[in-house]
Amino acid sequence: MTNDEKNYFDPKVLAGISNLYLRARWVVEGMMSGVHRSRSKGFSVEFEEHREYSPGDEIRRIDWKALGKTDRYFIKEYEDETNLRAYLLVDTSGSMDYASDGITKFDYGCTLAASLAYLILRQQDAAGVVTFSDHVEAFIPPKAKRDYLLQILHALENRGPAGETNVGKILEEIAGQIKRRGLVVLVSDLLDEPEKILKGLRLFRFKGNDVIVFHLLDPAELSLPFDGNILFEDLEELNLRVVADPRAIRKTYREVVEEFTSRMRQECHDNIIDYQLISTSTPLDQALASYLSWRG
Amino acid sequence: MSVFFLHPLYLLGLVAASLPILIHLLNRRKLKRIRFPAVRFILLSQKRISRSYRLRHWLLLALRTLAVVFLGLLLANPIFQTGAGLFAGGGPVSLVILLDNSLSMTWSADGNGFKQAKEAARFLIASLNDGDRAALIPTNLTGKEPFRLKGEKEVLFKELERIEIADGTANLSAALTKAYELLNEPAGQKEIRLITDMGLTGWDQFSTSSLKQYDPSIPLKTIRTGKQQQPLNGTIKEVRLASQGVGVNLPLRFEATVANFGVSEIKDALVQLSIDGQNKEQKLTSIPPRGEAAVSFQTQLTQAGPHVGRVSLKKDGLAGNNAVHFGLDAQDKLRILVVDGDPQTSLVQSETFFLIRALNPAGEQDSSLYLPTVIIADGLNTTSLEPYQVVILCNLSSLPDSLLPKLQNYLRQGGGLLIFGGDRVQMENYNIKLVQSSPPLLPAPLREKKIGPEAGGEKIDRLDITHPAMQSFSDPILLDSIKSARVWGYSRTTAPGKSALISLANGDPLLIEQKVGAGRVIFFSTSADRDWSDLPVKTAYLPLIQSLTNYLAGGKRGAMDPGITVGNPKEFSLPPSYVGKSLKIIKPNKQEVEVPLAPDKDRASATFQENDRAGIYRLSLPVGGEKESGMPLLYAANSPFLESRLDEISESELQAKLKPIPVEVISIDALQQGGKRMDLALPLLGLLIVTLLTEGWLAQRI
Repeated sequence: MTNDEKNYFDPKVLAGISNLYLRARWVVEGMMSGVHRSRSKGFSVEFEEHREYSPGDEIRRIDWKALGKTDRYFIKEYEDETNLRAYLLVDTSGSMDYASDGITKFDYGCTLAASLAYLILRQQDAAGVVTFSDHVEAFIPPKAKRDYLLQILHALENRGPAGETNVGKILEEIAGQIKRRGLVVLVSDLLDEPEKILKGLRLFRFKGNDVIVFHLLDPAELSLPFDGNILFEDLEELNLRVVADPRAIRKTYREVVEEFTSRMRQECHDNIIDYQLISTSTPLDQALASYLSWRG
Repeated sequence: MSVFFLHPLYLLGLVAASLPILIHLLNRRKLKRIRFPAVRFILLSQKRISRSYRLRHWLLLALRTLAVVFLGLLLANPIFQTGAGLFAGGGPVSLVILLDNSLSMTWSADGNGFKQAKEAARFLIASLNDGDRAALIPTNLTGKEPFRLKGEKEVLFKELERIEIADGTANLSAALTKAYELLNEPAGQKEIRLITDMGLTGWDQFSTSSLKQYDPSIPLKTIRTGKQQQPLNGTIKEVRLASQGVGVNLPLRFEATVANFGVSEIKDALVQLSIDGQNKEQKLTSIPPRGEAAVSFQTQLTQAGPHVGRVSLKKDGLAGNNAVHFGLDAQDKLRILVVDGDPQTSLVQSETFFLIRALNPAGEQDSSLYLPTVIIADGLNTTSLEPYQVVILCNLSSLPDSLLPKLQNYLRQGGGLLIFGGDRVQMENYNIKLVQSSPPLLPAPLREKKIGPEAGGEKIDRLDITHPAMQSFSDPILLDSIKSARVWGYSRTTAPGKSALISLANGDPLLIEQKVGAGRVIFFSTSADRDWSDLPVKTAYLPLIQSLTNYLAGGKRGAMDPGITVGNPKEFSLPPSYVGKSLKIIKPNKQEVEVPLAPDKDRASATFQENDRAGIYRLSLPVGGEKESGMPLLYAANSPFLESRLDEISESELQAKLKPIPVEVISIDALQQGGKRMDLALPLLGLLIVTLLTEGWLAQRI
C-alpha cells in the first residue's frame, strides 16, 4: 500500500473533507479499489411502485394488466429483497465533541457510520441510522435503496453533538423499535455506566440481532498526555470538574481506562458481540475491515 | 552549649525558604482549563492514588523548602559549641572578659570564688589564637579607666594578676557598656564572658536602660563560680552614735546593728569596738535567721581632735563584711560665760536656772560637753572673755562702758555672744551700746517691750531650719515642741520678721543674728527663764540652747561621721585661699592621691572619686591656706551593707533583666572541663546534597 493510498483513511485527511458523502465514498472506494468486485445482486420479489415505460426498459417488465386497465404502459418496480438489515446507532452526545488533535469523535463516528452505510447499500443490503444522545434524535429505518444513502447522511449531518449520554436507556428504547432481526452497529464512546450499556446490548442479542460495537475514544482519552496543573471540566456535566496533575495520575488513569475497555471487551465477547476499541487516530479502513470480517 | 554563625547576614536568605511554598500557591492559582470527556476516569484515578500522591506532593514541597533552608544556613556557616571556652576556627575573635571583683566574690564558692574566677579568665586568655584580641575589665570600675582590645597574652596575664577584690558592689552597667563599646568596631567573632558569683546585689540596681550602648547580636555568656554550701552569712549593718556629741572625757555610747542574711542563727558572734586601733569593748551576741540584733558600746575619748573608730564582727565560718569604719571629731568642753542680770537667792528663780540645766542636764562637771560659768553683771569688769567660746548675757539691765570694746574685740576674734531679753533690760542703753556702735552688734534697734498675760501669749510660728543653728528642728517632734511654746513678753525690734531665725505668729522676730568680724551675735528677744515664756520648760529648749551655743562657738563640732559607701564620690569644700592648690588623700591601702582644688562660688572645692577601698581616708591640707579650715581631716568609706548578702540572681531573672541581650549561664566546671566546637558547614552540605537528590528522585516518581 502506498502512502497516497494510506491517506484515504487518515482521520486528519478526512477531517478536511466537509462533505460526509464524499468522505464515506472516499473511504469505501479507497478501500475497495484493491478488492475483486463480485456483484452480489439480490432478487426482487416485493412490488414497490409503478412508473411509466420509457424507451430502453425491458419489455418483460411491462405490467400488462395495468395496460389493459389504463391503456398506458407501466413498468413494475420491485424492492430488492436483501439478506441484511443494518441499524447504524450513532452517539451524538456532548462527550463525542472532543478532538485532542484532528478529528472529533463525533466526526469520526459519523464518517464511520456513513462509510458503513455506503458499503452496505452498495452491496444492496438495507441500511438505516439512529442518532441519539439521552434521547433518540433521528430514526431512519433500514432500506436497501441506493439513493437512501442521502437520507442517512442527512440524518447524520443534521445535528451536531450535544446533550448528555444515556447509552443504556437508548439501546433499550431502540431495541423495542426494531421488529426484524438484523445487524446492529453501535458507534459511541460508551461514557456511561457499563452495566446499563451491556444490558442494552444484551437485549439486541436476545432479539436475535448481530451486534458490532465501535468504541470510539480520542488518543488523549486513552493516554492523558497533558502537563501541569489542569482544571478538567466535563463536556456534558457542567458541574463536574476536577483539578489534577496529569503527571501524578497518568499511570493510574491508563489503568482505569484499560480496566474499563477490557471489561467491555470481555462482556461483549461473552455475549457474542463484536467489540472494536477504536482510537480516533486509527485509519478508518481498520474499522471497516472489522465489519468486512464479520460480513465474511 | 550554643550555636553561633560566622556570617549571620546570610541568615536573611532563609526568607527564600518561603519561595517553594509561594511557587506552589502561584501554580495553584494559574490553572490551565481543559474541557474533557473522561473526567470520571480522572476522578476515579485521583481517588485511587489520593493518599500516596498527596504525601509525596507535600514531601516534595518540604524537601524543596529544606533545601533552601540548608543553603541559607550553609552560607551563614553555623558553629556548634559546648562549654564556654574559645576554640580555633571561625576567624579572629574579639573577646571581652568581665571579671566580677565585687566584695561578695570574697566569700563565694566557700572562699574560692575569686580564685576560680581568675583561673577561668586565665583559661580564656590562654585559649586565644593568633589574630585574636581580648580586653579584661573588672566589674568594679568608675567607667573612666582606659581599656582596649589587645592580642598580647602576657600583657593580659599581668593585668589579670593586678586585679584584686574591691570593697564595693559591681558596677555592671559601666562594665557592660565598656564591653560593647570595645566590640563596636572590630569585625569577626565577638564574644563577651562575664565571670561572676551571680550576686544579687550587683544586679539589683541594674537595668538595660542604664547601658549607654549594647548590641543584642552579641550574647552575654555568664560563667558562674562554684556555689556556696549554705554558709553563715552576716554583717554589721550600721553603727550610730547614741550619746549627745563627741567630747573629751565624756561618756561616748555607740549602738551597732548586726544583720544575719542566712537561714541559720549566728550564735555567739563577737562584736568588737576599737578606737584608733585599740580594742575598747567587745560583746557576744546571737543573731536570728534573716534578722538583726543590736549591740551597745560605751567608751571615752581623752584627747580632742580626729579619731577613727571600727566595729567588727567575728565568727568562725562567717561570710560577709566584718567591719565598719567611722570617723570621730572629739571636742574639748565648751567654756561658756553666763552673766546673770537678775540674780536671786533661790536657785530655781534665778534667771539662768533653765539655761544652765540645758547646757549641763546632769549637773555634773564631767557629764556634759558644755562647761558654763555663771557670774553676776558686776563681775564683767574683772572677767576676761578670752577663755570662753561663748558669752551669754541674761536680762542684763545695762551694758557697762568698759564692756563694749571687750565684746567688740572678742567678737572680731571669732567669739560668740548670745543676748537674752528680760524685764530689766534698758532698751535705750542697748540701742546706744549695741546698735549705734561701730561695728553694730545688733541688726536693729529695740523699740518697745510687749508684755501681756501668760494666757494670751504669742505662738512661735516660723523657724528658718536652713540656718545651721536651727537644723535640729527638722525633726518634727522638736518642731512641734517649739511651736507649742507661748511667749507673752519680749523686746520688740524693728528687724523684719522674715530675716529672723525664729518668728512669732504676729510676725515679730524672736531670734535675730548679727555677724561681727569672725564672730556672731544672736539676740533672743524674750527671757532665758520662765518670766516671759514657757519655752524653758519645753523639750525643744535643750536642743535649741545647745544648737545656738554650738553655732556661736564656731559650727558643728564633736560629732561622729559614719562615712560614705565605697564607690561613691567624696566632696570637699575649703576656704577660698586653697584654690589652685591640691589636697593630698591617703587611701586605706596607703596609696597617696592628689586632688586639685578648684574655685566653686566663694569656696575651693574638689571631688574625689577613687573611694574604692573600705577603711579610713586621711587628708593632708596644702601649705599656704588658712589654718582653721573647719574640715575634718579624715573620713571613712564602708562597703555597701548588702554586698555581704550572698543571695544569687537566677538565670531566668538575669535573662529578664538583660532583655533583649541574650544571656546564657554556664557553670565554671563546664569551662574547665573544656568543650567542643564543630563547624556545621560540612554536615549541612551533606544534608543539602541528600535533600536535592531525594527531591530529584521523588519529582521523577511523581
